[in-house]
Amino acid sequence: MSEDINENKTIQAQSSETISGGETGVAPDIDYVRPAELADQDLYHGHTFITKWVFCQDAKVIGVQYFLLATFTGIIGLILSWLMRLQLGFPGAAGFMTAEHYYQFVTMHGMIMVVYFLTALFLGGFGNYLIPLMTGARDMVFPYVNMVSFWMFFVAVGVLLASFFVPGGPTGSGWTLYPPQAILEGTPGSGMGIILMCVSLILFVAGFTMGGLNYLITILQARTRGMTLMRMPLTVWGIFTATVLAMLAFPALLVSALMMTLDKVLATSFFMPTILKAGEVLEYGGGTPILFQHLFWFFGHPEVYIVALPAFGIVSDLISVHSRKNIFGYRMMVWAIVVIGALSFFVWAHHMYVSGMHPWFGFFFATTTLIIAVPTAMKVYNWILTLWRGNIRLNTVMLWCLGFIVTFVNGGITGIFLGNVTVDVPLSDTYFVVAHFHMVMGIAPLMVIMGAVYHWFPLVAGRMLSEKLGKWHFWITFLGAYSIYFPMHYLGFIGVPRRYFEMYDSPYITSAVGMNQFISTSAFIVGAAQFILIYNIVVSLKIGKPAGKNPWQANSLEWLTPTVPPEHGNWGDKLPVVYRWPYDFSVPGAKEDFIPQTTPPSEVVETEVEKT
Amino acid sequence: MDEIKKEQTTTHKIGIYLWIWGLLFVLSFFSYMVDWYQFQGLLRWSLILIFMFLKAGLIMAFFMHLFWERYALVNVLLWPMTAIACFVGLMVAEGKYTLFSRLFYFFVEGGQ
Amino acid sequence: MSSDPKIEGYKFKPGYSGMAADTASDQTMFKGVHWGKAMMWIFLLSDTFIFSCFLISYMKGRGSTPEEWPNPSEVFALNAFGVPVPLLLIAIMTFVLITSSGTMALAVKYGYERNRKMCGWLILATALGGLTFVGMQVFEWSKLIHEGVRPWENPFGAAQFGSFFFMITGFHGTHVSIGVIFLFIYAYKTFAGHYDEGKRGWFTTMKGDYVEIEILGLYWHFVDLVWVFIFAFFYLW
Repeated sequence: MSEDINENKTIQAQSSETISGGETGVAPDIDYVRPAELADQDLYHGHTFITKWVFCQDAKVIGVQYFLLATFTGIIGLILSWLMRLQLGFPGAAGFMTAEHYYQFVTMHGMIMVVYFLTALFLGGFGNYLIPLMTGARDMVFPYVNMVSFWMFFVAVGVLLASFFVPGGPTGSGWTLYPPQAILEGTPGSGMGIILMCVSLILFVAGFTMGGLNYLITILQARTRGMTLMRMPLTVWGIFTATVLAMLAFPALLVSALMMTLDKVLATSFFMPTILKAGEVLEYGGGTPILFQHLFWFFGHPEVYIVALPAFGIVSDLISVHSRKNIFGYRMMVWAIVVIGALSFFVWAHHMYVSGMHPWFGFFFATTTLIIAVPTAMKVYNWILTLWRGNIRLNTVMLWCLGFIVTFVNGGITGIFLGNVTVDVPLSDTYFVVAHFHMVMGIAPLMVIMGAVYHWFPLVAGRMLSEKLGKWHFWITFLGAYSIYFPMHYLGFIGVPRRYFEMYDSPYITSAVGMNQFISTSAFIVGAAQFILIYNIVVSLKIGKPAGKNPWQANSLEWLTPTVPPEHGNWGDKLPVVYRWPYDFSVPGAKEDFIPQTTPPSEVVETEVEKT
Repeated sequence: MDEIKKEQTTTHKIGIYLWIWGLLFVLSFFSYMVDWYQFQGLLRWSLILIFMFLKAGLIMAFFMHLFWERYALVNVLLWPMTAIACFVGLMVAEGKYTLFSRLFYFFVEGGQ
Repeated sequence: MSSDPKIEGYKFKPGYSGMAADTASDQTMFKGVHWGKAMMWIFLLSDTFIFSCFLISYMKGRGSTPEEWPNPSEVFALNAFGVPVPLLLIAIMTFVLITSSGTMALAVKYGYERNRKMCGWLILATALGGLTFVGMQVFEWSKLIHEGVRPWENPFGAAQFGSFFFMITGFHGTHVSIGVIFLFIYAYKTFAGHYDEGKRGWFTTMKGDYVEIEILGLYWHFVDLVWVFIFAFFYLW
């Protein structure tokens, strides 16, 4: 036993030496951490209501602002999905619903959920709140730019929602906005609707770039002493890689939105081929619609991972904390995130197998797509191996994590179907695709968001959410989501096409009628169940159990602030010093089952901590 | 804001800037000459690209100080260009294919 | 690596082992790089993707149109002393932009040497160069518009020629114009001594430093860099 202890000491000494850059002449003090490179951050403290809560430069307030606004748009997206399901399950039940309305709702639901809800929520909401806290920074590095970022997002949402009230209504061209139909008469909202959509996207990209620069530079250049990249919680890694993807992928969206606007406003023909309409040649001619698809999906596929990677990261942390075990294969998890992120730029045209692109591309993109399954599968194995023989706390947070793993595996496997050209061609544009992407990038990340809300609410508000309501919320959502999307795979197999307003009397889908009614009913229930969470939050803010410090016995820095909830500047007078990774749970020999990141090695000499 | 604890940043001799400046003028002049003499085909393309990359490289390396930056920054900036390279390559193929299918279906078949 | 800063307790290694050590260390990954400078680099990377998408679209659009693409060397020719000289204006614009890039590089150097006057004059020279460039671009645009080139059509051939020309040069010109505005602001701030005193910014409330000149310089060189690519692909192809 004593030999082990000595070995540990030397290991610790070595590790602190590598961190210090291997300088000479310093005694091997095992608690040594290199001094700070930078002077303490100079912060602007607001004094008035406006500077403290509205045009606020505190990343935590900005995070909450992002969270609330994204949730608001998300609820609009949810209501749109209800209206769509009402039409699909019970055609004609909503009297005002025309085919035009249906297409507009499909489009706005898709765009809102992917860009204005999930992206804004994960990166803007969780990113802003958690990055400075988890890396031990006082705030984002450019608080002013960060504030402008949120207000750009606010304007973008305003422009987007304004399109509901312009003549012709919002665009109804599907969330992919494919030209030529997006800007031609006959598509709903082909006038002001599509212009406002493009303008809103351009504003969103501009605003997001400001935020994204903040997240990246904060993670790369403003970590606290001792916080190496390989000691960051996986949440930060996920958000970091997703932000890199966003910075490199959003340009393609910006360019395609700009060119589409010009096609509409100035009648250029970037994307518009020669078109014959009712025997007349339109003013357009010579453009290439497929270019838009390439640009859009050069953005669109990384976008999938912009939503998925933060979810991967967050769920890793939640699973680790709530099963009281270190994350299995931390470095593998990090590299998997990075590799998935890098590969996501080389797979975009698997969304375009039926588009009429160059026939040789199918092989290339099917190959790269299937390669992505490798790091993704590694992550799933690692989550399961983290749970294996863990001291699992089966609370609401853990339930959401388990729900995530199941739905993600489910959606991932159908992704392998769709990644193969020959399988994709018959399944393309059916409900199988709808089921696939809702499972993998709708429900799965949403489960993580829910888990994260239950996990971090005590930090933000200082009070716990109700477990009882949480379990109701989880079970209705989980079972309901499966009742919605599982039958959709079957609908896809029998060939029900997506984006159809009504199937009328198509004989081959009579078996789908009952199923559609079932799906719609489930959708109403699941949607309504989300209001349990809102009720839970509102009530718990007032009467929730006081959380105290570190209610989950977690290790990462956000729980170790001097005050809960943390104040502006996060750390009081002294910045924390980090000595280890955030996953030292159930370490043999330790007094408690967790060792916070700030615990120096000298206090845990007699334990078998990981060398990080 | 972010006062790095170090002495005043070392600057480079003025000569290096003047040299690069001169080189950029010469290279721009050369690439203009490509058009002046109306070189065509492969020669034109290779000359255009060589002068372009030389100019871009000089600006980035010396005017933007990338030559003196540490590899951590340089690599972070240059690796993402592989995604662009892939995009360029595929779009060249795609452009040719679109042209081919247009000529084939609208001019060859349509003419019959 | 001549410009490695000194950081207490950290030993710099050269090359790729240095990259590994920098990446694996705590606090910062880009050792000694100012936050604003790192931000500008990452922003420029993102902006590179924007311009790349523009140029890729242009290549794809030009490559797949069956119509004749106008010959830029004739379209952009300018009559000098009664003789049409191909790309004359474009060549002058290129030289102007490179000149302004050179003055900017020197401004950064003198800024770090705390030579306030020299730095200010060089920034002002850069701003004037940029202004000249924008002015010549306005001349070029109005000449083409006068000849009947529009974003949606032109008398020389494929309609996409005008579309891509106005969009890409317009986007680049917007970058130049924004740069010129900032150059004038920074010239004022330099002459007023804001970087010597560390006076706080008007909006950001952060202390001024000569590193801001370098950050603006990065942006300006980038604008020049983009022009190199536009010159090659749009005017010489």
